[in-house]
Parts: sequence; structure tokens; C-alpha cells
Amino acid sequence: MSGTDIVLQDVRKVYYKDRLEIPVLEGLDLRVDAGDFVALMGPSGSGKSTLLHLIGGLDRPTSGQVRVGQAELHRMSERQLTAWRSRHVGFIFQMYHLVPVLTAAQNVELPLLLFRMPARQRRQRVQVALDVVGLGDRMDHRPNQLSGGQEQRVAIARAIVTDPDVILADEPTGDLDAATSSEILDLLRLLNSEFGKTIVMVTHDPRAAARSRRTLHLDKGVLDREELHAATPTGAGA
Amino acid sequence: MAENPAARTVRASESSIMGLPLVYHWRSLFARRSTTLLTVLVVAAVTAVLAWMLSFAAALRSSLAVAADGRKIIVLKRGATAESNSAIRAEDMNLLTQVEGLDIDPETGRALISPEMLVQVQLPRLADGGRTAANVAVRGVTGTAFSVHRNVQLDGRCFAAGSREVIVGRTAARQFAGLRVGDTINLGYGSDRGYTVVGTFSAGGGPMESEIWGYLPSLMNAYNRTLYSSAALRIAPDADSRAVIERIEGPAVQLNASTEADYWREQAMLVRVYLAVAGVLVGLMAVAAVLSVANTMYASVAGRTREIAMLRTIGFGPGRILAGFVLEAAILALIGGVLGCAACAAWLRLVGNTKDMFGATTFTSMAFQIVLDPRTAAEALACVVLVGAAGAVFPARRAARLPAISGLREV
Repeated sequence: MSGTDIVLQDVRKVYYKDRLEIPVLEGLDLRVDAGDFVALMGPSGSGKSTLLHLIGGLDRPTSGQVRVGQAELHRMSERQLTAWRSRHVGFIFQMYHLVPVLTAAQNVELPLLLFRMPARQRRQRVQVALDVVGLGDRMDHRPNQLSGGQEQRVAIARAIVTDPDVILADEPTGDLDAATSSEILDLLRLLNSEFGKTIVMVTHDPRAAARSRRTLHLDKGVLDREELHAATPTGAGA
Repeated sequence: MAENPAARTVRASESSIMGLPLVYHWRSLFARRSTTLLTVLVVAAVTAVLAWMLSFAAALRSSLAVAADGRKIIVLKRGATAESNSAIRAEDMNLLTQVEGLDIDPETGRALISPEMLVQVQLPRLADGGRTAANVAVRGVTGTAFSVHRNVQLDGRCFAAGSREVIVGRTAARQFAGLRVGDTINLGYGSDRGYTVVGTFSAGGGPMESEIWGYLPSLMNAYNRTLYSSAALRIAPDADSRAVIERIEGPAVQLNASTEADYWREQAMLVRVYLAVAGVLVGLMAVAAVLSVANTMYASVAGRTREIAMLRTIGFGPGRILAGFVLEAAILALIGGVLGCAACAAWLRLVGNTKDMFGATTFTSMAFQIVLDPRTAAEALACVVLVGAAGAVFPARRAARLPAISGLREV
């Protein structure tokens, strides 16, 4: 395994509700090479989000192994996972999850507060991250002063500001119109192709999935099929 | 592959040290304005009462500390608990002169013994425009009193021997009507003799500042008294106060004696009870404040589930989340605390900062100058910050234990 490849071996995940066993992932094997851009698709309950959470160290498998780079997530404690996430993973959510009382710059700065870093360096990084997503001139805007697309861009800036190896996006365009979705997907492609970020994106939208390098279809907790995509030019529309 | 402009310098070895920014907590507090303001008001009320109580206790401590002259002994009749119920015969007073260990007046060569008589008069309080009155101690003294009570400093003229003149303690002058220099007050049995106020005196802020002093024979005559109330003695520098007390209480003299500090500590007992009751009330109010802070913080946590889940997701551990919410509550309490201290200071300024309390057995007014000093304000603030932190513990624990995944799914 090299770089920050993502490897899942025989992963099983079971949830329990009122003593009832609910299997979500059933012996799943998956490999995502460093620098890949993978879309995860499948019907509701197929295990897409659970898979994303396992890769992101937000959850641990019931059995099996989850490796991201050198990190063996299935062996790590809650505390270790928390520290690992802050250093290696950037998260993008469907609902952006920006802190409403903070400005765009302050939202982007949040992950950097977990590192020993001079304030000046933090400000520089925030500026760069917001420039990358095209919002360098919106630093002092609060979330309620931004459009949905702009909010998602701020969330992307927050995800990349620590320069993580992996970006995990859960329905990043689910709350956006087609044109804005396309802009966000362009941005994700840019992060993948220009900055070499490994991206795993959960989506229900086949047009969004088509902008990735390959789509993995999940069904009932197992990988059903894989679909390779030809390179789609930036700005091709969602 | 192009280099990420967001510089690849965050290394695994870098330890995380900071929490959430203060601006986050500050603005989050005021995102739910009405609940926050209500809690701030509750905390402010608690702080105001607490600050007043602490100031009062400090004033009492300082007043009694001033009176705590270790070289001075107060002598009363055996069995008496205060000057007001004590009576010492002239022959007993003579016996005191034979007690070993007393300081000697270098001018007269006599032992420093101040025979004194204490009566009470009712005077209208200035604080309420004279609607209510309180007992004020009138002390008959001789010139020796100024050698025995060494913290007494005259401001202006002293009463003349044999005259109908009095001098007034600084605190009493501030607190009661008719005690300005030049005023005449009626004293004596039947209040039929006019005494002119000719000067004021200080006693280092001690209880004697609440008194009126006049010439002993004149006042004894005015009140038809033949017995003294008490005697104040000064001990020789090389004498042991306990030994002197034992001699006075022994078979040769048979009077009660205690150091001035012990005497006033006993007299202030009622004030201590008052403070204890006030302390219980403040404690109950503090519990209400804890509950109010807890309520506010629970509401805050409930309204910020997704936000907290996001913070957990991006790497803020449970400890940081918990500390953040406790800090937020502490800020909330501090705002209330500052307001409360300001309210207390304003109250003392507007309504007056001289408080009179009755002595435990004399029923005579003992006045204290209450001042909210920076140290007392800091103590009150520290207490309410603890109250705030206590109120935040359970909501903060709930926040810290929120699982990131379910929190993110909450819409």
C-alpha cells in the first residue's frame, strides 16, 4: 500500500436497534488509490454513508479492517481517531454545517485551531483556502450573507485548509441547484486533479457521480458494480 | 501534481493546543438573546447580593480588627455581658489601680485606667430622612480615655471638663441627624439638658466611631448615675494580658475582664448571625442561578447539535467541547457578575454605604462603612464564575458526548 491509499478488507458493520441486528455492510472489500476520485452510489440504506464514516474514522467496523495510508483505523481508539481526522481528512457535508455566528474566514480557520500555529500563518492559510474556492473577497461574510453555493465553497475551504490527504464529501451537491452543483463539482475535480486530493463522494445524483473518475455502486451492504468515467471537462454541467 | 497553496506543513507531530475561539462563544451566547439575558439578570442579582454581603462582612472584619487593640482591656461588672448592663462601683474602680501590669501615665504617674459610663439615646437616622431612629451610645469619659483608646483622633476641639459639650464619632455624625458641630442634642435623665457638639473624632473606622463622647462627671450627673459602666485599661508593654485579666477576675478585684478584641467579637455576634442568614439566602439564590445557567446551556446545546457534531467530526475532542461550553457559561456568569457588582456599587453610592447593626447585648447601633473594594468584587466574580461553570457541567457533558454521526444527520 502506498501514499494514502484507502483499503477496506472484509468489513462488516452491524447496527443494533432494540436488540435487533441491522447489518449495513456485509464483508465489503474496497480499494481507493491515492489521488483517485470515487463516487459512491446506491439506494438509501445501501451503506454509502456508513462506508464514508468508516473511511473518515467517524465510526469503527464491527469486524474487518480499514486502512487509510499507514493508519489502521479499526485498531484506533476514539481519541486517536479524533486526532487522526483533524490531520488527515477534510469533510464536506450536504448541509454545509457552517457555524452561523462566525464569518467565512473564522469558519475556515476552525480546523487550524487544533494545531500549534502562529495566528499570522493561520490567517495566510485561511486566505489561500478561500482564494482556492473563489471566495477570497468574502472573508468577513457570515453564512447568512452567503448563497448556498458560496456556503458550500466555504465548507470546502474549511475541508482543505489543513491540507488533508483525503476529502470525504457526503452529498455535497444535494442541497444545490444544477448550476451551482456543477461549480462545486468543478471545484472538487480541481482539488483532485490539480492538488492530488483523494476524494470519496457519496451522491444520489448520477450526473454528479459522472464527474468522478469512477463510481462504485453499493447495494445491501456490498459492492454491486463499478463504473469508470471518461475524463469530463471542467464546467461540463451537472 | 501541483503543490497545494494551502501549504503542506501540518504534521502529525504537531500537537493540538487551542480550543474554540472566544468570539465563537461570545456570539453563540447572544444567538439566543432572551434566554441569555434572563440568565444574566439572575446571575447579576445573585452577584449584587453576594457582593453586598461580602462587603458587609469585610467592613465588619475591618471594624473589629481596628478595635482589636491587644494592649487594651475592657472591664465590666462580674456577670455583665456588655457595658449597658454593667455597673462598677467607685471602690471597685479604686481596686483596679492596684492591679499589677498596667501601663503608667508618664505625666501623672497613675495607672492608665479610663472609667467610663455608657448610656443610649435615640436619634433619627439620616438614611431615611429621620423616619426611623436608632440607639446611639453616649460615653462619658475623662481625659485618660484618649491615652487608653489610642486610635481615637480628635478633629476639632474636645469637650471641656465640666461643660455641657460633646464630641461625635465620624460614623455617627454621618448616620444620625443633629450631630453636626454646633448642633445641640438633648441628653440626661428626661432628655432635659442641651449638650453642644463641639468636635468630631475618628477611631480608625472602629466601633467607637459610632459613639458620642462627653465629660464623664457631667454625664453621670445628667443621668443621676453613681456607678460606672466599665473601665478601659492599658497594659504595660512588658506585661502579659492574660495575667492581668486573671488578676482582675481574681478574688482581689472580682470583675470581668477581656481584651478589646474579644469584647467586640462578642458584641458583633448578632451581626454574625445576620451574615450567616444572609449567607444561606445567597446560597439558595446561587442554586437558582446554577439552574438558570444549566437551563440556558441545555437549550444552547440542544440548538447546536449539528454544530457540535461538525466540530467533533473535524477533530475537536470531547474535552475541548466540554471546556468550550463551560467557558461559555463562565463568560455568561462573568457578564452577570460584572453587572451585579456595578449594581451593588451603585446601590451603596445611591442609598448610602453606612450600615448600622445592633450589638448583641447592647442594642446600640454599631455602624460600618461598607465599600465594595476591588478585592471583594473579585471574590464575588470568582464565586459567580464558579456558579456559571457548575451550571454548565451537565449540559457541557451532554454536548461532549454527542456522537458526531447522529448529530450530523439531525436536520
